[in-house]
Amino acid sequence: MKALIDSHANKYLLAAALLIALLAPQIITSPSIMQIMILTLFFAYLTSSWNLVGGFAGVLPMGHSAFVGIGAYTSTILYLHYGLSPWFGMLAGGVLAAVVGIIIGIPTLKLRGAYFALATIAFGEGIRVLVENLDMIGPFKVNGPRGLLISLAGNSFKDYQFTSKESYYYIILALLLVVLAMTWVLMRSKIGYYLSAGGEDPEAAAALGINVPRYKVMAMAISCFFTALAGTFYAQMFLYFYPKSILGLDMSFEIAFIALIGGRGTIVGPLLGALLLRPLNEFTRIYLGGILPGMHLVIFGLILILVMIFQPRGIQEPLTRLYRRILYRIHGS
Amino acid sequence: MEIYIESLLNGLLMGSIYGLTAVGLTVIFGVLKVINFAHGSILMVGMFVAYWCVTLTGMNPYLAIPIVVPLMFYFGYFMQQIVIEPVFKAEKDVREPITVIIVTTGVWYILDNLALMFFGAEYRVAHTSVTGKLFELPGGIYLLQPKVYGFVITFACALFLFWFLKNTVMGKAIRATSLDRDAASLMGVNQYRIYRTAFGIGTAACGLAGCVLIPFYYVYPSVGLVFDIRAFIIVVLGGLGSIPGAIIGGIIIGVIEEVGAMFMPSTWTELVIYGLFLLLLFVKPAGLFGSKQDF
Repeated sequence: MKALIDSHANKYLLAAALLIALLAPQIITSPSIMQIMILTLFFAYLTSSWNLVGGFAGVLPMGHSAFVGIGAYTSTILYLHYGLSPWFGMLAGGVLAAVVGIIIGIPTLKLRGAYFALATIAFGEGIRVLVENLDMIGPFKVNGPRGLLISLAGNSFKDYQFTSKESYYYIILALLLVVLAMTWVLMRSKIGYYLSAGGEDPEAAAALGINVPRYKVMAMAISCFFTALAGTFYAQMFLYFYPKSILGLDMSFEIAFIALIGGRGTIVGPLLGALLLRPLNEFTRIYLGGILPGMHLVIFGLILILVMIFQPRGIQEPLTRLYRRILYRIHGS
Repeated sequence: MEIYIESLLNGLLMGSIYGLTAVGLTVIFGVLKVINFAHGSILMVGMFVAYWCVTLTGMNPYLAIPIVVPLMFYFGYFMQQIVIEPVFKAEKDVREPITVIIVTTGVWYILDNLALMFFGAEYRVAHTSVTGKLFELPGGIYLLQPKVYGFVITFACALFLFWFLKNTVMGKAIRATSLDRDAASLMGVNQYRIYRTAFGIGTAACGLAGCVLIPFYYVYPSVGLVFDIRAFIIVVLGGLGSIPGAIIGGIIIGVIEEVGAMFMPSTWTELVIYGLFLLLLFVKPAGLFGSKQDF
């Protein structure tokens, strides 16, 4: 009975959330609020992609911005040099990121938590330094620290460029739904069970005959693929990016922390984390940044510490509990 | 030729100071099994404390050591007690607590940005009695005096720590806890006091490094980042938890940096270091002096 109420209510909640997400751009007209909403979804998407490996496989990747960068650079270079539509460039970037993820994952995913985290930091920073110091990668111009500028094509679907912010909103929303659905399917598959078993207790899982590293590498590849798609989105929305903006340690850390604050290893966790933290971050930056530079990051750090002290499994746990309690109160059982 | 010897020596000197910051990190990791992401920020705090000591009183930076080091020890001691311990207790069954890593990053954000709010973003240089003074070696080799003093102090500190861990009751308790927390606490060791002390030693090393750096290095709120990633790489290179590993790893990194800069743009040396680090992780994840069980 309880499960039945739950699943019905979940359906309604899901439908309502989807409806709100779909209608929001029709109601909100302020472009700056719209921008914050897009960035919130952008980070929700990134964290959900990160969650595929960081949440289920029990490791802590801290260099995911490298894959965002791979996506942005691949699609942009293909677009500028060959006129290839970024929609295809996006997939090319995703595949490249997945391959790099596998290459980097095979040796590192065998390492313990601390070593893996440090290895991914070194990898991410290494990629940033590399791109910052190169004007050309092979025959392709990457422009070192100056970054790449995408030529303006006006309102053109083929070129992944739109004059209205709404279009970008719906693209990132669609991407987010895809990655959430992907997570949902993966969680209920054999891979998902092997992954969480390996994440919780690698020795026991290995004793049961599960090839834990192989499934971790698979999760890494999927996660890197989706992460890279966000890179193309970023490039096409701002039409300009440079290594510090897209390959920096800040972004890697922010991706991981939003997931951890929300609650990693669950579907709603990263989503809740992004919905709460991103707008908070933006508003504190807007309202406090001018008076006290750095104040918004002090607040971010405080939230990080407080959540980890009081809700080490993330804010999704108390919120889910609250939601259940409300449900049973309504149903009177 | 002299120029190569000079850069080799400079790498050796600067590397030993990197090693000193890594010693703090490695002691903390050895005992708590936690990478302290706030380590660079704590170093920044140590540098600012040393900076204000020297600037406000005009004292010799090395005379400030007995003031700065205990201050920084208690800073770490109470930080562990107030901020990290609650999380640590919740995760005490986990071999390598991840939540604690996140908490230390929270501390990093707070410290760096509080420093930004209080001191502003500008680079500050302390004018001390040894700033800019040179030693002249035969053959026209010049070495910065404060770097040489830093080298000596680093080795004195490492030797002291070695002696401390080997011969004192506290040191033995710290080593026992780092080997096996549960067994140590069954033997009557108060493990939480050990964690606080270990964390205090780690931050005290940052205070010492602050005193050593302040005569010749800029201090600004995000200066920690320069040392942070280097310290991570150094401790993995030397083997997480190993004190000689940290010093030697630091010297290796310092020498690569200085000598490498003779042959390529200095930003490329950074890339060489990251590449070397990744290579090492694949070939020998336990590092030069690490034990096999740690990775």
